[in-house]
Amino acid sequence: MRQNESLTGSFDWALFAVYILIMSMGVATVYSAAYDSDHPSLFSFSEVYGRQLMWVGVSLFLGLLVFLIDSDIYRKFSLPIYGFTLALLIIVLLLPERNGAKSWLGIGSFGIQPGEFAKVGTAILLSSFIGSINVKQQNVRTVLLVSAIIGLPMILIMLQPDAGTFIVFTAFLFVMYREGVTFDPIILKFVNLIPGIKFRQTWVGIHFIPIIFAIVFLCLTTLIVSHEPLLLDTFPGEEFSGYWKILISLVFFYIAAYFVMRWIFAKRDRKRAAAIAIIGFLISVFISFVVNFTFEKLPSHQRLRIELLLGIYEGENVQDGADYNRNHAMAAVGSGGFFGKGYQNASVSSVETNHVPESETDFIFCPFAEEWGFAGSLLLIGLYLFMMLRIVKMAERQRSTYNRVYAYSVAVILFYHFAVNLGMNIGFAPVIGIPLPFFSYGGSSMMSFSVMMFILLKLDSQRKDVLN
Amino acid sequence: MNFDSRKYVIVIFFVLTGLLYSIKLFYMQVVDDHWKLRAKQIAEQRREITPPRAVVFDRNGKKIVENKTYYNLMMREADMEELDTVAFAKLIGWEPEEVGKRYRAIVEGEGKTLIRETGKYDPNYRKGRSYPFIKELTQDEMSRIAPNLENFKGFREEVASMRNYPYANGANILGYLNEVSAEEVKNDPFYKGGHHIGRTGIERYYEKQFRGTKGVKYIVQSARSVVIESFEDGKYDTTAIQAPPIHLGLDVELQAYGEKLLQNKKGCIVAIEPSTGEILALVSSPSFDPNLLVGKKNISKNYPKLVNDENKPLFPRPLASEYMPGSTFKLIQALIGMQEGVITDQSGFTCNKSVVGCHNHPHPSSVTKAVQFSCNPYFYAVTRRIVQQKKKKSSFHDAEIGLNNWAKYMHSFGLGKRLDTDITGLRSGVIPDSKYYDKWYGHHMWKFSTIRSISIGQGEVQLTPLQLANVAAIMANRGWYYTPHFVKSIGDDGPLEKYRVKNKTMVDKKYFAPVIEGMRRCVHEPGGTARRARIDGVTMCGKTGTVENYIGGVKQKNHSVFISFAPMNNPKIAIAVFIENAGGGGGTWAAPTASLMIEQYLNGEVKSTAKEKRIMDAKLSNFK
Repeated sequence: MRQNESLTGSFDWALFAVYILIMSMGVATVYSAAYDSDHPSLFSFSEVYGRQLMWVGVSLFLGLLVFLIDSDIYRKFSLPIYGFTLALLIIVLLLPERNGAKSWLGIGSFGIQPGEFAKVGTAILLSSFIGSINVKQQNVRTVLLVSAIIGLPMILIMLQPDAGTFIVFTAFLFVMYREGVTFDPIILKFVNLIPGIKFRQTWVGIHFIPIIFAIVFLCLTTLIVSHEPLLLDTFPGEEFSGYWKILISLVFFYIAAYFVMRWIFAKRDRKRAAAIAIIGFLISVFISFVVNFTFEKLPSHQRLRIELLLGIYEGENVQDGADYNRNHAMAAVGSGGFFGKGYQNASVSSVETNHVPESETDFIFCPFAEEWGFAGSLLLIGLYLFMMLRIVKMAERQRSTYNRVYAYSVAVILFYHFAVNLGMNIGFAPVIGIPLPFFSYGGSSMMSFSVMMFILLKLDSQRKDVLN
Repeated sequence: MNFDSRKYVIVIFFVLTGLLYSIKLFYMQVVDDHWKLRAKQIAEQRREITPPRAVVFDRNGKKIVENKTYYNLMMREADMEELDTVAFAKLIGWEPEEVGKRYRAIVEGEGKTLIRETGKYDPNYRKGRSYPFIKELTQDEMSRIAPNLENFKGFREEVASMRNYPYANGANILGYLNEVSAEEVKNDPFYKGGHHIGRTGIERYYEKQFRGTKGVKYIVQSARSVVIESFEDGKYDTTAIQAPPIHLGLDVELQAYGEKLLQNKKGCIVAIEPSTGEILALVSSPSFDPNLLVGKKNISKNYPKLVNDENKPLFPRPLASEYMPGSTFKLIQALIGMQEGVITDQSGFTCNKSVVGCHNHPHPSSVTKAVQFSCNPYFYAVTRRIVQQKKKKSSFHDAEIGLNNWAKYMHSFGLGKRLDTDITGLRSGVIPDSKYYDKWYGHHMWKFSTIRSISIGQGEVQLTPLQLANVAAIMANRGWYYTPHFVKSIGDDGPLEKYRVKNKTMVDKKYFAPVIEGMRRCVHEPGGTARRARIDGVTMCGKTGTVENYIGGVKQKNHSVFISFAPMNNPKIAIAVFIENAGGGGGTWAAPTASLMIEQYLNGEVKSTAKEKRIMDAKLSNFK
């Protein structure tokens, strides 16, 4: 039964306030970054700040619409909504390219990027599907269906191609992890083919997602760390392969892990600690060695691409060459100092000087950090953290799995955008063009994130209605 | 299994990332100054100022290469505000659509670099860089534009300099400049698009000594306002320093005189000061006015004409033309013969015209007389003795050893190898050795009788006029030479180290006397072949050459060759003259030309006006 509450009865005002705050800061930064003295008004719709303001208006209007609709709609119509966003992704592939990719649907400068909306559609269907199954009775079919829900839009986005959005879709792995959806049934299928083995579950299958992350982390660290040769003071003039650093670190890491495990494990399990440490060490060495060896053997142009992506390129032209964008972005951020250069005073990342490309979209953090310094940057990180943690808290208070999965989807997608976008401004992440949510200029991302946010707020406000 | 605890993993992940980013930001923005300096570098503009190139003086202190000022109209898009194209076009005297066309050409074409990895050209246009919008405006043109330029933001004038040649001589020596290629910009940070670089001649050889030191001016442009101020009161600015002047051994008057003598003829004159190896004149005829190849406009107008000219004025004949030396070669044969001990200065050979043709002359009873009469059979016999020394039973094997020994002597005279002269475009000539003939005839399939034409400087032997002049210098020095060179000093420094090393030939000084006496008689005694070369009051030594030559098997008019030095004792000038298809002998055209040059150089004026008129007025048939 539906409780007779006012429309905003349990509305999460705190989350809404942070959303509005970040969006306002975004508009202000776009205004500063893209300022054109011929059109000084914030409402000049010929300029990006005027248009951004318009997108904010449109987004709030869409949000209101979303809020007026009963939240049950999204669950009932999850498949059509998903199908619709998927159809947009297919249509966009049939249209001519724009800027080297087929990611834009629209006329002239007004249009949408279906990739942004596919996130919402996928989140809705994934929530609805996971909400409908019992995770304790997972089988191959459920795993394959979950994989298909996430995989289909990923394939279509890969075809555009749009690496940034593609990567963002791996955020759903976190959601699966939280819900305990694993790849175990598939792995068991294969493992149990071996005669004499009949596992009911595998450790790898259950911890599939953390293991993937551990392996990716190990691979990236290997490439980045091995890149610089090892120089030892005791052997002046000698250059050792940078790979030794990885090897030494792994030794120390697993020795430490062994002692930690000994301390955690019960007495009878202590022998296992040694076995786990040794097996883990051997596997890690194997993986890192293969990665390093393959990288060294790659043709130079492919190596260059990887080096650029990882930000470890050290060619002659570091200052003005291939690493131009990242270098200038970091200079802009780094020159901000503690309190910044003051609003509208960015000298590196203003459009006028044009040293940082895309300073109103993907590199929006540059003008912000340059003008507001460390103080402003810390505030912005704080606001995003608050927003993400608030959503996690919100997720955990939901009664239905559907609502919880959806809330987690929103949280991790926001996290991905936040981490990658800021990361590329400060040299922690490769330069992948994805917007900073609610902050970067751009209609599609503003609208899709807002819709995503308002669906969440609506679900949350009606959480007591739903009985699972 | 309960998954609720996994929420902590996610929360920890979020918080750790936020923390890590905050720490990194704190380090970047507050602790580390590196990025602040980098930002300064990015925000400030570095304007490089290229100094004018070094000026060039001749040996008498006459300025032969100078610079004149001109202006480039530079464009920097980052500074531009909405450009009134029509007004701007009017100011610079263009059609409005041309402005847009030029702008697009810059955006698409300037700073284009070849990316090795992909093999594609990458348009490297940057809004923050200055590009020349119009090049090479004269002072007059610029003075019309400059007063109104401040209305067009993003445009400024830049002073640059261009070469000017007051004497219009020696084009093939001085060389010309043109714009650097994208490859050159990439390989040497000194150059930016639109800069000039030496393309030929000494401008190319001494590019680094010519270009000087660039100056840098740092300018800071604040974000909103387009106020430009100097960075930290010019603390880091440096001034452009012009390279010190370059002095040549060249005598520009002599050079000009030589070019005049050879007008309407194809040929070369190379004059060297024997005691130093300095090149006094290097005439390549026909030549051109070097002012024709100054600046982009002139080059695009005149270069095609010069390239397509049938007389090939761009071809540096004295350096790159390989001619058979004819009888001038006999001097070296005599020297080698005596050094090898196969003849003495008193050896005589019958003028037996059955082996090689000759003219009628008294009996050559000594080296001196043989040189004086230029007796072909005599030198045939001498060279035969040099090549076939009967050290091996097989005459083929014997010839191989003898020829290679002979070639070694020739190399010691700077022949058959490229002289290390300070100019580009040099060729090595040909001194055949056993490998050379093995290729033609097969190993041990040839002997002296097969290759006998080399004895009188015909056949396979080829020399450049510069090498021939160097032979004259060797004769003057009695057995040694400094590598011929143009540059006498750069600022306070003398010539390059390699031009201070004496190169000794393999022939001892004592053997030179009889040959030189023969050269004197060529000019001064009855029966000598170069009687037309006499100058009053100067004892001259010379040797003529008459080179038979064929084009596609058809005999052409003979080349007229003469090498000479004067005065006989304490020589001041050594010279080689080569006039293509002049007809007659070496004494007819080349010898009087050389004597006029020597007279001009030694006396500063020419009294033999009839001789001068005859040479200058001659228009040879091969000249188109």
